[in-house]
Amino acid sequence: MEDFFIGVDIGSLTAKVVLVDAQGKALGWAVARSGYSGRDVAQRLTREILAEKGVKEEQIKATVATGYGRVTYPAEREVSEITCQAKGSAHFFPGARTVIDIGGQDSKVIKVLPGGKVIDFAMNDKCAAGTGRFLEVMAGALEVSLEEVGALALKAEEHKSISSFCTVFAESEVISHASAGALKPDILAGVCESVAARVSALVERVGLESEVVFTGGVAKNVGVTKALSEQIGYPLLIPENPQITAALGAALLAWGMGKN
Amino acid sequence: MAEEKKYRQFQVSKDLKRLMAKHYALGRYYRYWGRPLRRKLAWITSGAPVELLRAFKIYSVYPEQYGAICSTAKATEKLCQAAEAAGYSQDLCSYARSHIGSILRPDLAPMQGLPKPDLLVACNNICGTVLKWYEALAHLLKVPLLVLDTPYLPGEQTEHAQQYVLEQLQSMVAHLEALTGRKLDRQELKRQLTRSAEMTKLWREIRELAQAHPSPLNGPDLFIQMAPIVAIRGSQEGIDYYRKLKAETEERVRRSEGSILEEKIRLVWDNIAIWPKLFSFTKMFTERGACFVTDTYSGGWTAELAPGDPMESLAATYTEIFLNRSPEFRAQQMIQLIEAYGANGFVLHSNRSCKPYSLVQEVIRRRVMKKTGVPGLMVEADMADPRAYAEESVRTRVEAFLETLQA
Repeated sequence: MEDFFIGVDIGSLTAKVVLVDAQGKALGWAVARSGYSGRDVAQRLTREILAEKGVKEEQIKATVATGYGRVTYPAEREVSEITCQAKGSAHFFPGARTVIDIGGQDSKVIKVLPGGKVIDFAMNDKCAAGTGRFLEVMAGALEVSLEEVGALALKAEEHKSISSFCTVFAESEVISHASAGALKPDILAGVCESVAARVSALVERVGLESEVVFTGGVAKNVGVTKALSEQIGYPLLIPENPQITAALGAALLAWGMGKN
Repeated sequence: MAEEKKYRQFQVSKDLKRLMAKHYALGRYYRYWGRPLRRKLAWITSGAPVELLRAFKIYSVYPEQYGAICSTAKATEKLCQAAEAAGYSQDLCSYARSHIGSILRPDLAPMQGLPKPDLLVACNNICGTVLKWYEALAHLLKVPLLVLDTPYLPGEQTEHAQQYVLEQLQSMVAHLEALTGRKLDRQELKRQLTRSAEMTKLWREIRELAQAHPSPLNGPDLFIQMAPIVAIRGSQEGIDYYRKLKAETEERVRRSEGSILEEKIRLVWDNIAIWPKLFSFTKMFTERGACFVTDTYSGGWTAELAPGDPMESLAATYTEIFLNRSPEFRAQQMIQLIEAYGANGFVLHSNRSCKPYSLVQEVIRRRVMKKTGVPGLMVEADMADPRAYAEESVRTRVEAFLETLQA
């Protein structure tokens, strides 16, 4: 009977689960809103993946949990999302030296060695600026869906700047731009640039080395990606599914435990 | 306080409790004994030249230490709110806010606040905030304020800076003579300096014992045991206490007893303690075998007295304290601590309240990492205000940092 390994990442906004096989190859993954109980959601996702891949629960040799909800999840080990993110990113891009991750509630910049060993990192201050939540609030104020933000921002002609880092103040800035008749793409371009500016400052703290990988839910936003790449002056490598890199890193750590 | 039990307790700590209780009780009942003996009571900043005040038989209490007491007594939040309601900005130092709050609302304050002072003495070697804080106190309480302005030292001490401070000390003497009705007794000042130096030397020697593996001291030990060097520096009782503490610490080293049960990682701490979370914060490290073997904060009270006659020595010593020095000086200090104590990493508390301590930390962090290859972690918190502490985001950083050290 073949062995399998699970990585669970319970973030502030979404839960992710990745299943890897005995060769350390990712077989399947699932993402859902973490909601009230991230643990329950992650357990449901795990059951679904196992059913889909025809894997029995007793074949799971180890589980590693990461993300804010890691302590609530029954796993063999809990590992911080920084270690997991670095591990997962290095799996997709072995040449990665800097990993920029923008999630729901925090953003981080991680400096890594080949193989994904963390040598330094910086995280946002306890504030929502430069995070997915910030984008979500601004999208809400402009009545556009989060998925539309990036594409709309690329259509901007005259970029409106958002100067406040405070999410509440920035939202009033957005509203005042809107009531002054500014177009949604122009305002959204400013919103994306604001997120990028906050994260660029973190990049400066740890020092930038290429190659640069961009992960987290916000990496799906083309507006932020463009602004960030321009501000730091490097192209950004984005995995096909940037939301699951930390969960994949967790699954690979579980796989590593199983091998030993 | 259940968490406290997981640390190896010092036997002498019982004496420490008694000693500090006596200090605060003497302050509290000062009006019964101070007046008849013609002795004044002063509120002073932590970097003020207390030896000079002691030579004038002035009893000194420290609002900054009181700020830490308020915080461990969980009173800071309400006291800060009282000050904020009176118009003091939330961006001000939490020691200043909670202390001002304790004057406005003694009913919310531990010991109902500090005993009312006859005078205030502020020295800006530790920060600029103390000037405005003490001006506010002088205004609220209608008592005289003496200020000692120590110029920031971008490099080494200069003749000019020392002369400038010396002249202020001389004029402070004239003010103190007028306020107390006593003449300065230079012999007494010399005795005070000698005792102060003796106590400082003991504190330095105790701290240096933590160079042993495993370390007999952890962060909370340093932060708790520093109380006498701050508040009763130069007293015979303080000297006696530190002799006992030193003997017990030496005994720990002899028996290879660490402060924490299994020491795997040795860390250096920078900045004031996170008083409201002292034990829960440290526990995240202790659980993983990480010990804070030394720190820059309680180490601020280990400087040797500068040479010269007593007044010259005071002028130089109080100007040269590390918070009044350049980022280069502070980075070098961190490098020396890492080397001397065999540390594997360092943790910088970016303290929302304390700007001069915190502003340059990122520069220091980078410089030290580059020079030593030893990793440094920055955590955002506040020395006293629990509202500025985000448990989960601190935990993520700490765990990730310790994972990198163990990997």
